[in-house]
Amino acid sequence: MSQVTTAARPAAKAKAASKGSQSNQSLSWGSPVVYFVGLLLVALSMGPVLYIVMGGFRTNSQITTDPAGLPDPFVTQSYATVSTSADFWKPALTSVEAAVLTTLGVVLLGVMAAFVLARYQFKGRGFFYSLFAAGLMFPLSVAITPLYTVISKLGLLDKLAGVVLPGIAFALPTTIIILVPFLRAIPKELEEASALDGLTRLGFFWRIVLPLSGPGLITVGVLAFVASWNGYMLPLFVFNTHTPTLPLGVAQFSTQHSTDTAAVLAYTSLSMIPALLFFSIFERRIVGGLTGAVKG
Amino acid sequence: MERPQHRFKKIAIGLAAFGLAAGLTACGDSSAPAGDDTTAGGDATQTLIWWHNMNADPGLAYWKTVVADYEADHPGLKIDMQVYQNEDLRTKIRTALQSDSPPDLFQQWGGGELIDQVQAGYVMDLSDQVADEIAVIGEGNVVGWQVDGQTYGLPFTLGIEGIWYNKDMFEAAGITSVPKTLDDLSAAVEKLRAAGLQPIAVGGQDGWPAAHWYFNFALRECSQATLVADATDKAFTDPCWQKAAQDLADFAATDPFNDGWVTTQAQVGAGSSAGMLANGQAAMELMGIWESGVVGSLTPDQKVPEFLGWFPFPSVPGGGGDQKAAMAGGDGFSCHKDAPASCVEFIKYILSDKVQAGYAATGSVPANPNANSSLTEPILQDVTAQAKDVSYTQLWLDTVYGANVGEAINNNVVALLQGQYQPAEFVQAVQEAAAKS
Amino acid sequence: MSTPAPAALSAAAGAGGAGSRPVPARPAKSKRSGRGRTRAEIAILLGPALIVFVGFVMAPMAVAAYSGFYSWNGYGPLTNYVGFDNYKEVLSDPKFFTALKNNLFILVMSLVLQGPLAIVIALLLNRKMRGRSTLRVLLFVPYVISEAIVGVGWRLILGTGKEGGALNALLRAVGLDGLQHYWLNKGTAVWVLLLICTWKYLGYAIILFLAGMQGIPEELSEAAQVDGASFWRVQWHITLPLLGPTLRIWAFLSIIGSLQLFDLVYVVWGKAAPSVDVSTMASYMVLNGRNTLRYGFGNAAAVVMFLVSLVIALAYQRFVLRRDTEGATTDGN
Repeated sequence: MSQVTTAARPAAKAKAASKGSQSNQSLSWGSPVVYFVGLLLVALSMGPVLYIVMGGFRTNSQITTDPAGLPDPFVTQSYATVSTSADFWKPALTSVEAAVLTTLGVVLLGVMAAFVLARYQFKGRGFFYSLFAAGLMFPLSVAITPLYTVISKLGLLDKLAGVVLPGIAFALPTTIIILVPFLRAIPKELEEASALDGLTRLGFFWRIVLPLSGPGLITVGVLAFVASWNGYMLPLFVFNTHTPTLPLGVAQFSTQHSTDTAAVLAYTSLSMIPALLFFSIFERRIVGGLTGAVKG
Repeated sequence: MERPQHRFKKIAIGLAAFGLAAGLTACGDSSAPAGDDTTAGGDATQTLIWWHNMNADPGLAYWKTVVADYEADHPGLKIDMQVYQNEDLRTKIRTALQSDSPPDLFQQWGGGELIDQVQAGYVMDLSDQVADEIAVIGEGNVVGWQVDGQTYGLPFTLGIEGIWYNKDMFEAAGITSVPKTLDDLSAAVEKLRAAGLQPIAVGGQDGWPAAHWYFNFALRECSQATLVADATDKAFTDPCWQKAAQDLADFAATDPFNDGWVTTQAQVGAGSSAGMLANGQAAMELMGIWESGVVGSLTPDQKVPEFLGWFPFPSVPGGGGDQKAAMAGGDGFSCHKDAPASCVEFIKYILSDKVQAGYAATGSVPANPNANSSLTEPILQDVTAQAKDVSYTQLWLDTVYGANVGEAINNNVVALLQGQYQPAEFVQAVQEAAAKS
Repeated sequence: MSTPAPAALSAAAGAGGAGSRPVPARPAKSKRSGRGRTRAEIAILLGPALIVFVGFVMAPMAVAAYSGFYSWNGYGPLTNYVGFDNYKEVLSDPKFFTALKNNLFILVMSLVLQGPLAIVIALLLNRKMRGRSTLRVLLFVPYVISEAIVGVGWRLILGTGKEGGALNALLRAVGLDGLQHYWLNKGTAVWVLLLICTWKYLGYAIILFLAGMQGIPEELSEAAQVDGASFWRVQWHITLPLLGPTLRIWAFLSIIGSLQLFDLVYVVWGKAAPSVDVSTMASYMVLNGRNTLRYGFGNAAAVVMFLVSLVIALAYQRFVLRRDTEGATTDGN
């Protein structure tokens, strides 16, 4: 954090200098209307989520006979079984590993590529941009057989890298498309100034661009994390003996002929928590955080 | 920060070298060897990779003990059991069979899928080695795992289909005896409706549960010869196909199915058609032998309910087919063509009286009838007893006729039941699908 | 679509993006060694992403697309070349066009519904006030839940029969029996799909917009507010125009997402999608390709889907995105 501010300082007005003394620590209350609208929205977005969470406290019979009812009696068995089971915690660890590595990889490779596409002029730039964009338009499920062959030939089957590397590849298009305008928005005066200060273009990228594109990087990071967290296809095909990820782990409650819905709901409700923690840690940085720095 | 970058570069170079080439030749790569270390005989430890779908207890626990017992008797052999959810397993097998790391022993649903696998040369011909097992299971029951008279897999579980019903609801509606004929069934539907009850649950959204109604009518209208002949020529020109569609359309017109059946799912736990039967929301469901276990898992006390009963699909007056025949299905195992000899040995072990008896004790119906006595669930004993009256069993038509025709039946039967398709149009849609390659 | 940002404003803001172009040549010391050096930089920065992307995404996709010219059951080598037969079948199947129609409906309605809604919410959440962090997290929750579970949950809520499901039970409980409905059936199905999509993906749009708003200097709006302009007036005249690039990128991603829509349809409706008229191009592809083991046909349908997306994306880029990706869409220089 401090490193970042130093790097950005030459071109930026210090945030503290901007008028008004509000900071994130001492926020004032907003108008009641805003909170009312906010609560209404939360009710709409969280209603179905709470329904799923509560479903985990019911039996399948209760859910079938009275879909709108509250747990009656309150059955903690599903949550208790899931939360004390190695079949939850071990996959949770794999999921965290895969999601963190994928996110780091996507953000790093993505911002490097987006920097080139946003700020270098060269022949073929349009082609490369379109190439990445085209990656969004073809469904992954169709390409799974050839993809499996690639993963297998590289010796990545049953390895974490077999999930992480393709995961990075599939998250690159969104990442690059979102980042290009963010990077383009950094004023060229800043680049010129840094060049006068003796920074190379790579130095400019490393010391100025990266710190300044915080909100964009964190946004694409969060999106990549969620995509990896819920990813099903890749771990399904890549992992055999490897501990599965959470989305695969939940399949243990679906046998050939039936599903334990209550357990599925409990398992998923619990597996949401780490992803939400990740988001709540980083959302502060999307808004606030480093931003005041860019005032060209 | 440098290290990951460095690693990426290494990987990236590797990718450039192999990735593209691998990707581009992926489809031409049919002769991939089974690259495990199992082909060599001798004393070295041999590993048998086994993929199956029994991913929950008690089934899973049972197969673990089977593996442990077998390994104890066969030093030097290690069975690497990998378990997946049913649908996941199907997709995985398809991809893995054409890669260079296929499983040795894998779940085999039989029928059209097996034919594709055999034609592509992935499956071992077991014919010479399993004659004894076939004799025990019964020639006719193995047909689904045979291609051109050769056996490429064996079922380990088999069971007939029938109508599961709620005795209490029947009684409440004043139905005194189980329906024997189609007219009896229609009368029962009428009485249940009159009593304000939903007669029959059907998972229309999944297609196949509705299609099973058509299969059973086809079984009553078509001769066994026609059913067998159409498995190869796929003509579906015999008038019996349309008559069966007419029977079903007429039956559907009496409004026998649950409210909202078009979007009802069959077996996804809460809210499914099985859940309706389990909780007294519908009186009947046409389903395979596994139904009692599914229903049992969805009741308030998670036990097979006392009220659950079973009767064979009713006879259709004037039908040209066998009125005593039954639809049936099962799951089996196949060996990869390059699997070690221990693969077949292990299949034979699975089908032995001892292992099958243990399997029956977990509440599933064994393929080996000698093990039927080990079924503990009363309703399953009842069904297997009634199965003795069956003249012949016919494997699911969507399995026998392949995914092409099977899906056409599954998808179009809903339109037939809703009256959007006339019986003739329905049969035409099936014929057209059969003509596509 | 959206009004161009006044050049002066965006230049002042920098973050507007509309005015800033790629920096041309380096001002100093880049005459001779510059070109080689620039190439090396491009290779180092773009190379890793490109290799991973081509190896794991483009190459497998090319192979899959190629199999669209074959009759192929998914096993073994491609031997039965059928030319454009699969494509002809897709393009002469009315069911495909029904699916396309549904995709376009979702596409347009998502833009119309999600866009304004997400902007308003993002503006509110961008204000400095207590509790905004909590609000942001809560509104983002639906996006974090996997499509598979979203499907299970909404199925239980919507039910299958006229009296089934939590929603119908709720309507009964408050005396609105008359509003009970077969929500998943024909007629309402596609609206239900739209509702679920909006519910699920709104959070995505919100965080994207929030991130975009951080590039907009506070001074501008603060100054305007000091001058007496109302909050919404300020947003309309200052924030929104400057948010242009982010909005256009979101719309682009939303359009492509709508055209590729699959998971939610398949989890909620499965094989019933065509019979209740809620199928999409991707569900058509799976139901008629993979499920019938006609992989060649399914892959041809995927290529058609790709082309439809490409045409729409190119049109969008030509008419809307051009400003932001100037030089990136066509070989600049």
